[in-house]
Amino acid sequence: MSEPLLKNIIDDAESDPPIFKTWKRLYAAVLFNLALLVVLFYFFGKAFQ
Amino acid sequence: MRTLDWVVLFLTLLSIVIYGIYKGKGTRTIRGFFLADKSMKWYTVALSIMATQASAITFTSTPGQAYVDGMRFVQFYFGLPIAMVILSITAVPIFHKLNVYTAYEYLEYRFDLKTRTLTSFLFLIQRGLAAGMTIYAPSIVLSVILGWDIRITSSVIGGAIIIYTTSGGVKAVNWTDFQQMLIIMFGMIMAFIMTIVLLPSGVSFTDALHVAGGMGKLNLIDFSFDLNNRYNFWSGIIGGMFVALAYFGCDQSQVQRYLTGQSITQSRLGLLFNGIAKVPMQFFILLLGAMVFVFYQYVQPPLFFNPVETRKIQEGAYAEAYEQLESKYAEVFEEKSKSLREYIDVKSSGDPVSIAQAQANFQTADNRANEIRGEAVHMIKAQSGSLATNDTNYIFLSFVIKYLPLGLVGLVFACIFAATMSSTSGELSALATCSVVDIYKRHIKTDGDEPHYLMISRLAMASWGIYGILFAQFASGLGSLVEAVNILGSLFYGTLLGIFLLGFYFKWIGGTATFLGAVISEAIVLTLFLLEYGFKSITVAWLWYPVVGCGVVIIAAMVLNTFLTGTNKQKSFAI
Repeated sequence: MSEPLLKNIIDDAESDPPIFKTWKRLYAAVLFNLALLVVLFYFFGKAFQ
Repeated sequence: MRTLDWVVLFLTLLSIVIYGIYKGKGTRTIRGFFLADKSMKWYTVALSIMATQASAITFTSTPGQAYVDGMRFVQFYFGLPIAMVILSITAVPIFHKLNVYTAYEYLEYRFDLKTRTLTSFLFLIQRGLAAGMTIYAPSIVLSVILGWDIRITSSVIGGAIIIYTTSGGVKAVNWTDFQQMLIIMFGMIMAFIMTIVLLPSGVSFTDALHVAGGMGKLNLIDFSFDLNNRYNFWSGIIGGMFVALAYFGCDQSQVQRYLTGQSITQSRLGLLFNGIAKVPMQFFILLLGAMVFVFYQYVQPPLFFNPVETRKIQEGAYAEAYEQLESKYAEVFEEKSKSLREYIDVKSSGDPVSIAQAQANFQTADNRANEIRGEAVHMIKAQSGSLATNDTNYIFLSFVIKYLPLGLVGLVFACIFAATMSSTSGELSALATCSVVDIYKRHIKTDGDEPHYLMISRLAMASWGIYGILFAQFASGLGSLVEAVNILGSLFYGTLLGIFLLGFYFKWIGGTATFLGAVISEAIVLTLFLLEYGFKSITVAWLWYPVVGCGVVIIAAMVLNTFLTGTNKQKSFAI
């Protein structure tokens, strides 16, 4: 693998995601989505039990 | 199926093959053949990941599982989004930086050749068995429902896959996965809408949810911690996360999907999209099963859903007894249906005494119906053996073929074929990549030129495809081993994951310690498996096997590393 290509890939890893501005925020959004689904499923199950 | 359904099914399959050949044309290097020249955008990576994971059994068995066991299976996927985040942070940048073809190639950079070869070998065993099953399991279901010989079903599926994977490699696999996932989503949404439409007049969607909930089918979350309980919140979050980490981080059939991403960003976005979309998708498929369950509270279901076994018993020694059971079942069903209507009527009155009474009446009738079904299953077991008694896979498809309208039946069957093709093609391309890159190119012929390796790659792809077809055709002769093969596949994930975690996070651990730790871990997991399934002396839900395997590799390697003086090789490839 040539050095410039490796450099491009590493640089790309540092680039921000297209949404939520930073990767940390995007990861937090994915985990928040999971937490929200668990809560929704819990109340959904309870509501129709 | 009627003519229009056949036309829809045939045209869908044809379009997949043509699209695969078209998208994969111009592949002339093994980088193109195995990595699609790293040209894929995140949406193709995302849908390809989802399509590879979702096999036909996801769409045939999952609704049936909700019908029988409720929706609690959704908890199994709770660990997946966490795993997607972890892999986006760790595996994706490392694999991209090293420009590897297989996940196991990384292990040679980090440890040594023997660790890479062992891991690749474990993958080839595990995925090789699974690939056979991926064709076999839906082939047997489709053969029963469509009345085809299993040799025809498996040949149609396997043959179509071989055509486009051998010609276009991974580029064809990813693009057809993308197309197949869209077909599957459309088909399943249409099936869901039609299931709601087919509910009797006067029964709203909310009523249906109340019926499903009242019958315990909306058991989505269970916070109790119980090692013997296969699906609860904790086994889903912890066990499910380990399974997802192993599957998406160490299984080449998934790693290859995001290795084709144009950049680290595109690969990460593909994984994270899966982390967001997978749980709702499974919820939706399970809800479809719960709605089919509600439908069958108003319309009498067959006593047993597998038509072949039903026909056998109707023509065999138990024919008369089975006929009597069917009559009894019809009577009880009438009572059950009547008490359900009463329950729906009194529910709106808000009178708790009447509601409780109606619910009790319905419950009594339902228990009687279940008892009769139990007797029928017992009869089928006596005639055909215990393997024939599970009809979960046939519930949804028998509903589809009997009640869905013209055209939609063909579309749902096209979805099932597409799902088989998407998961199998991903597996075949991964098996071919490991066979060529990790074994052939690394150990057998190290000085070949590009055309030679490309020819071998196509040959490996076709060979694994033919193996898959043959496995499916001969698997029926394996009897109970078929079930064991499925479980066996899950025994290797913990070890694979442990090796990768050592590589990523334990800089001071060397290759020899890791190699020996992996051997010890595999021996312990296999012993657990033997104690549970062979000697029946312990009970551990299989979701915990990867946790045990992974833990043992790490601990054993750490202990062994203190006694061994092997090199740690490229510590810089750890995090």
